[in-house]
Amino acid sequence: MIEVELHLQRSEFQLNVEFSVPGHGVSAVFGPSGCGKTTLLRAIAGLEPDATGSLEVNGRKWQSPLKRLPVEARGVGLVFQHPSLFPHLTVEENLFYGMKRLRKVSNPFDIKELILILGIEQLLKRHPDSLSGGELQRVALGRALLAEPKLLLMDEPLSMLDQASREILMQLLESFLQQIDIPVLYVTHSSEEVARLADNLVLLSRGGVTACGPTTTVLASLNSELSRSESAFSVLQGRISNKELSGLLSVECSDGIDLKVPASESMVAKHYNLGRAVRLRIRARDVSICLERPQQSSILNILPAVIMEISTSSDSGSRVIKLDIAGMHILSKISDYSVQQLGLHTGQAVFAQIKSASLV
Amino acid sequence: MLQDYDITALIITLRLAATTTIILLIVGTPIAWWLANTRSRLRSTIEAIIALPLVLPPTVLGFYLLLAFSPDGPVGKAVAALGLPSLAFSFTGLVLGSVIYSMPFVVQPLQNSFVSLGKRPLEVAATLGASAIDRFISVVLPLSKMGYLTAAVLGFAHTLGEFGVVLMIGGNIPGQTQVLSIAIYDHVEALEYGQAHWLAGGLLIGSFLVLLMVYGANRRIHLMKTA
Repeated sequence: MIEVELHLQRSEFQLNVEFSVPGHGVSAVFGPSGCGKTTLLRAIAGLEPDATGSLEVNGRKWQSPLKRLPVEARGVGLVFQHPSLFPHLTVEENLFYGMKRLRKVSNPFDIKELILILGIEQLLKRHPDSLSGGELQRVALGRALLAEPKLLLMDEPLSMLDQASREILMQLLESFLQQIDIPVLYVTHSSEEVARLADNLVLLSRGGVTACGPTTTVLASLNSELSRSESAFSVLQGRISNKELSGLLSVECSDGIDLKVPASESMVAKHYNLGRAVRLRIRARDVSICLERPQQSSILNILPAVIMEISTSSDSGSRVIKLDIAGMHILSKISDYSVQQLGLHTGQAVFAQIKSASLV
Repeated sequence: MLQDYDITALIITLRLAATTTIILLIVGTPIAWWLANTRSRLRSTIEAIIALPLVLPPTVLGFYLLLAFSPDGPVGKAVAALGLPSLAFSFTGLVLGSVIYSMPFVVQPLQNSFVSLGKRPLEVAATLGASAIDRFISVVLPLSKMGYLTAAVLGFAHTLGEFGVVLMIGGNIPGQTQVLSIAIYDHVEALEYGQAHWLAGGLLIGSFLVLLMVYGANRRIHLMKTA
């Protein structure tokens, strides 16, 4: 378990957070810019000397009201938004900076293999100033991991990269972060990154935690600010069940419930084998509700659903509806007017039209 | 040609400048580090005190140092109480005066260098398990190379050219406290222009060569960074 209870008072801002996430897997800290995500991460790393409270990582006390471990004694890996390699050291020297300072090297990683996975084997003798943003960030990740951290903190590691290098690093993180035995706290304001990477989700808003738990549960809750915002979305997990349709993949998300999602043929050929576990992201505003099953619709995914909960009306005159589709929960955002017209109520059986779902 | 007492003056000057520079690099590092990182209100006061030798006539500083070193002065009394020889008219006194007089020339380049370093490299090093001293040695020192070189050269050169303070507290004793700048003055007073030329010209060319080396190194580092 990672148990966090931290407070920090600034003149224009205060951070008051209390949450716990499992001591393994990837937990995303998600929120709009300015909500205190980075400050929280810095406080956990021990870089905010004024932060008070207590902090425990898998049984080790990093901070309590009486004692604070200094940063260097915590065993924390931190990958900053701006890749921060030491400019006076080569890539190789950067990589081993933390490892050289370990009291006891237990080598959880095969160093050669890690270097290959990160794709930095050609760069080892070079200086950081000749590397691209994506390369720098991959070296920074390797450097943090080789120091054998008890907790890996990542502060929007993709946000400064161009689209192409972002995608490369994202795919690397997707497969890699799941394999390593180190818990990861991943700060981001991108719903795509949450959908693709996070097992658990901590929602942060104006310096406080508004929700915390498994990603699918938190996203499906109507109480959070996120679910009522324009960017509300749901994440479904499933397996590829059919790849013979042209331009489409079929994903089985629950017993007998298949969703069809667009996928380019090259991607299908390269990445998606039958039975592979995938995640789907569905925006709440792409889900509409019908009382009867529409016939001959261009919309591919029309599924029977039961209304579990209807939110109160928002300022913009829309409501969020939580639907149960064979045990899966997804959100639908429709207008207040439609709710009245259709006479929607909790427990009602309806049909959900999913206009688009994307593989993430 | 140079005479024996000119050579003695040269050696005393180089010893004085070298000693002063080494002491200043050691003392100046924590001061510059504190100035670069503190949020204390005392900072501007300390900065102003350290910068004083930049604006004061050296004779003013020399005058007060002389008073302090005198047997009735605070420093003089303390030194006597410890059973040490008097600082006035001694080489040790010269070193002490030079350290104060050349302080801004060492502290300011170091401070600028520490400020431009930023906090990030140190934070990264801390998360990678480096202790405070380790961070200083493995990150701050190598990244502040240019700052240290500039500080050392400016501190050395400025002590080399010192005149007023030395004259006030050193007393121009040949073989003990007579430095080059004062020897030149003496030669000119005695109308020994030939000897004055040897010393003055030597100092001029020597200083130029040192500065040329520093700016050359500066340029190389700059080119390396942009390459």
